[in-house]
Amino acid sequence: MKTRNECREWRELLGAHALGHLEGDERAGLEAHLEGCPGCREELAALAPVARMLPHADPARFGPAPQPPPELGQRIAATIAAEAERNERRQRRRLFGGLAFGGAAAAAVAAVLLLFVFGGGGSGEPAQQVRFADLPKGINIDATLEPHAYGTEIHIYVRGVPSGTLCKVWLRGPKGASYPAGTFRYRWGDDSDAVLSSALDLSRTRAVVVDTGKRTFVAPIGSAATA
Amino acid sequence: MIQLGTSTRGAFSRERDVREAYSAHSGELYGFAVRSLGDSGLAEEAVQETFVRAWRAGDRFDPKIGSLRTWLFAILRNVVIDLGRARAVRPSVAEGGVEPAVEPLDEALQAWQMEEAMRRLGEDHRRVLVETYYRGRPYAEVATELGVPEGTVKSRVYYGLRALRVVLEEMGYED
Repeated sequence: MKTRNECREWRELLGAHALGHLEGDERAGLEAHLEGCPGCREELAALAPVARMLPHADPARFGPAPQPPPELGQRIAATIAAEAERNERRQRRRLFGGLAFGGAAAAAVAAVLLLFVFGGGGSGEPAQQVRFADLPKGINIDATLEPHAYGTEIHIYVRGVPSGTLCKVWLRGPKGASYPAGTFRYRWGDDSDAVLSSALDLSRTRAVVVDTGKRTFVAPIGSAATA
Repeated sequence: MIQLGTSTRGAFSRERDVREAYSAHSGELYGFAVRSLGDSGLAEEAVQETFVRAWRAGDRFDPKIGSLRTWLFAILRNVVIDLGRARAVRPSVAEGGVEPAVEPLDEALQAWQMEEAMRRLGEDHRRVLVETYYRGRPYAEVATELGVPEGTVKSRVYYGLRALRVVLEEMGYED
């Protein structure tokens, strides 16, 4: 049996041994001790993976790590808060939209609600959730159209195109004429809607057109708008 | 009555969770992003995208499966790959557009992890490991320079490796 002190002396050589730095008598002595000491063998085995990882590191980079700028945390919090609010708004719209297309009684209630919600500026018709079908994988476009006395307000949200992409938006009328609604730039991490407007009445709008430079996406507006 | 704060959603879906995770892990995530992207502006973008994606996917985070830190690093890794791709398709480098290799990124993550562990080590321990291992200097020479017996340099190498192991474990590294 080894005494504790004897083990301790050998043990303090285990680091140099794990790094392959021991030579001669010292190395032979330690190896003989290891032979008869399961505890020290176990300790050596525990150091081995750490020793194997050492070559991955670059000692020139052991200095202080770079720190993120103090405003980054606030920026992230603001981005997430904006997206949470947008989600909530969309949920509310879906709720009102559902009511409007429900039974006749529900529709009457919804009409009153919608007038209340949208300030009664438009023709009383509900906001329209627009569906872009056949989008390429990874690209997401979400748009909602709201009727107003001046025309149509467009809330649009694009995700999955390169940061900095210039997006142009038009509404298409009954005879195929295009009414510009404006432009916006998509930035990575910015999850707010772009809010655009066009003079074309929602009831006369037949399609929403989004041009991202490389591609153009068209979403037809369903029969609900023509009713 | 819907109570958002106590809903049954995942363990990482509230804005408060994000704030807490940010104060605990943003330094490490940013450090790795700078190391692998080589640009502080891109690194900021990557860290922001990581937390936003994590928040969106908060329902899927299950602390029983792995730590929050590991999960965030996995997301950051994907963000860095996406950013690398976005850079690769820019017109100047589009020719020969090679898919960014995944292997070097994993190596970078391992390297960064080891470097971070080294930074967290006490100065005495880091010093002997740098001198004997990375610079390959003889123990006797290092001992003279530090004004300590050679045996002390050896024992510091031992305790240094042990401390490194503990730090790596704290950081969530599993061998």
